[in-house]
Amino acid sequence: MAGDKIFDDELLSRCMSCGFCLPSCPTYRLTGEEASSPRGRITLMRAVQEDRLDVTDPTVLAQSEFCLGCRACEPVCPAGVQYGQLLEQWRDTEWQGRRRPLLARGLLAMMSFVGMVGITLLGLVRRAAVTRRGTEAEPHLMLGCVERVLYPKVSRSARRLVPALRAPAVQGCCGALHAHNGESERGRRLARRLGRRLPGTIVTTSGGCSAHLTAELGADRVVEFSAWIAAGNGPDPAQLRAIMLDENGEPLPPHASGGRPARIGLQDSCHLRNAVGVWREPRELIARLGEYVEVPDAGGCCGAAGSYSVLRPADSRAVLAPKLDALAGLDLDYLAVVNPGCYRQLAGALKGSRTRVVHLAELLATAAPS
Amino acid sequence: MDSTELARRLAEIVGERHVRIAEGDLEAYARDATPLFRHRPDVVVFPGDATEVAAVLTLATELSVPVVPRGAGSNLAAATVPLAGGIVLVLTRLTRILEISGPELLARVQPGVSTKALADAAAAAGLLYVPDPGSQVVSTVGGNVATCAGGLRGLKYGVTRNYVLGLEVALATGEIIRTGGRLWKDVAGYDLTRLLTGSEGTLGVITEVTVALVPKPAAARTGVAYFTDLAAAGRAVAAVIGAGITPATCEFLDRTCVAAVEDYAHLGLDTDAGALLLFGDDGDPEMVEASLARIGQVCTEQGATGVTLAGSIAASEDLLAARRCSLPALSRLGSLTILEDATVPRPQLAEMADRIAAIAAKHRLTIGTFGHAGDGNLHPTCVLDAHDTEAIERSHAAFGEIFAAAMELGGTITGEHGVGAAKLPYLERRLGADQLALLRRIKSAFDPAGILNPGKLGS
Repeated sequence: MAGDKIFDDELLSRCMSCGFCLPSCPTYRLTGEEASSPRGRITLMRAVQEDRLDVTDPTVLAQSEFCLGCRACEPVCPAGVQYGQLLEQWRDTEWQGRRRPLLARGLLAMMSFVGMVGITLLGLVRRAAVTRRGTEAEPHLMLGCVERVLYPKVSRSARRLVPALRAPAVQGCCGALHAHNGESERGRRLARRLGRRLPGTIVTTSGGCSAHLTAELGADRVVEFSAWIAAGNGPDPAQLRAIMLDENGEPLPPHASGGRPARIGLQDSCHLRNAVGVWREPRELIARLGEYVEVPDAGGCCGAAGSYSVLRPADSRAVLAPKLDALAGLDLDYLAVVNPGCYRQLAGALKGSRTRVVHLAELLATAAPS
Repeated sequence: MDSTELARRLAEIVGERHVRIAEGDLEAYARDATPLFRHRPDVVVFPGDATEVAAVLTLATELSVPVVPRGAGSNLAAATVPLAGGIVLVLTRLTRILEISGPELLARVQPGVSTKALADAAAAAGLLYVPDPGSQVVSTVGGNVATCAGGLRGLKYGVTRNYVLGLEVALATGEIIRTGGRLWKDVAGYDLTRLLTGSEGTLGVITEVTVALVPKPAAARTGVAYFTDLAAAGRAVAAVIGAGITPATCEFLDRTCVAAVEDYAHLGLDTDAGALLLFGDDGDPEMVEASLARIGQVCTEQGATGVTLAGSIAASEDLLAARRCSLPALSRLGSLTILEDATVPRPQLAEMADRIAAIAAKHRLTIGTFGHAGDGNLHPTCVLDAHDTEAIERSHAAFGEIFAAAMELGGTITGEHGVGAAKLPYLERRLGADQLALLRRIKSAFDPAGILNPGKLGS
């Protein structure tokens, strides 16, 4: 192993162990244990890099899996440690062959080319967004392989708001989940392929895809939907009120009777906020739709974290628990999300409550004209 | 006793799930925020209350196993590095704020509560917890007391020891004692509260802290003055104090630190300036305005090249937040950052700044200096390449000279970080042989088996 450097030395040496990251880390908050903090994990990485610990060390392996990859530690780090990159390098090494969690292997296989054909067909069946011919100069809407299957209404809503968005059915996967699950190089290749298939500006409705694509294709090519709308594309949200309408244009409960502005909160997408730096824009849009209510620790991970909720459901629920407590007291009509993972996590958890979980694009598209 | 057997005995006290013995976990607890110090413990234990802490200590005394108490491990003096191995006793499970009493102006908290959490809880009750260490987002109250942490409000309000009313402490011999209490006035017995504050885990393990709070000031505001160099800023501080003003905050950063902070925080600081003085005051709004105007005026008279006042509370907070992160921000400049902590009498500030600059030049080192100018407390910080062992040697020599210079000017080797393992070699020079011997006798009265934090104070 000696000589085979796993980590970029420059990235690794940035951390000076001040510990400012500790309180921002969801897993450290759960355990209070150094090894499950960003600083502690970097200490483990260093020990691996310097041959004091083996990559097969049980703690090293366990911590590379326990980390949500939410990157909440990055914006609070005065030294500018790029933890997300270190985590990808870590998992590239840790999660090879048998050491990769079984479920992750299945998940990534599903995202493989053959699987993508199936997803594409399924997406077509579920009418993610109707393919529309147009010129290449027009912005392209990325459909997202998870989102188009689970929440096809999100891209349909985006298209309804901005009909000029092109949405070819064959796009492929952006590779974010690969990069997060120990296949950085494949993640990069998939992103570049998607970049070729969707020339020009790529608009995404998924925070996770947005961060990965931005890192691979550049911020001049990729723009997240809420940031794109806030920049003046699409209808003016000031004209809209967040009373969701059904297909016939009738208000949906619980607002059928009440004329008050809807109380709307937001759960940030970790990657959108921590990696891309987009968090003001969705709030601005919501504030123009109804009464914006800041959810305590909205920037803290909901536990979805890409494939994490599938791979580690118990830990995912533990991370989510304090958020549900916070939400319980807020009496929200809507909780807006900007990422399919958060959507799935929160819609499941809030089933039966009066708070309806919606993607911001859906909220905008179904809002009534004021 | 091998560590597996030790872990088994500890598990009988705290439960198996609160004991760690795996190599990776031990590696994670081999260091704190101090560079160049690392030593793995044999076992890590997470007790859940004072009784469990006491039982762990009793066992350790019985077996003569070293114990290093630890909170968030943000200290900069290697005070929580287990130099002799043994047990690292982590207090991060004790995170409850037990009480905030408005009428008595106090709070009672467990040691693992972060300083920021205590400050926020006090603020929610309309009160202020005064001690304000730069690392407050992560540092724990227990650790603050154990090291007598300072911070940004030291000049007007003092440091942690001025706010500790009482402690609950588990002794190495297994007793749990309560020192002080809820009273400002209490002279029954030796002042063990004060003795334990700053004892760095060498006399006992703090399991509960009662701190004094003050009413929240009606207003607080900050401003910035730029100077050509740190010595000029130092002279301005002396002039401000000389004019009869005691600002709540009076911090300075040299050119290197201003650039690093600006790179992180993007506040629009003037990176061309040689030094920056961040001053602030709190209290009655009109008084604060008058105080800030007066400080600005004195700075201008002392040659400040520019003075600006923060326009809003948010802007003031941003400035203070930027100052708090100067150390980690500095680490952008190199792979190894060694921060030190020397204090001189306030009138010697300019002289000390000059000497640090000269020492840095002599040893061909990049030393950025920032600190609590109002208290005469400086943090010369050396940034270098972690692989350059020759430069690291030069930095040791430079810091030796810096401490010598501080003492020569009537100062001390540490103002707020503590002695830990990093400063122990310099302690005798500061205290003298007789006092050091007394420290050791006190230590053995508290800790007859010598298990608590060996290699630190009292060793």
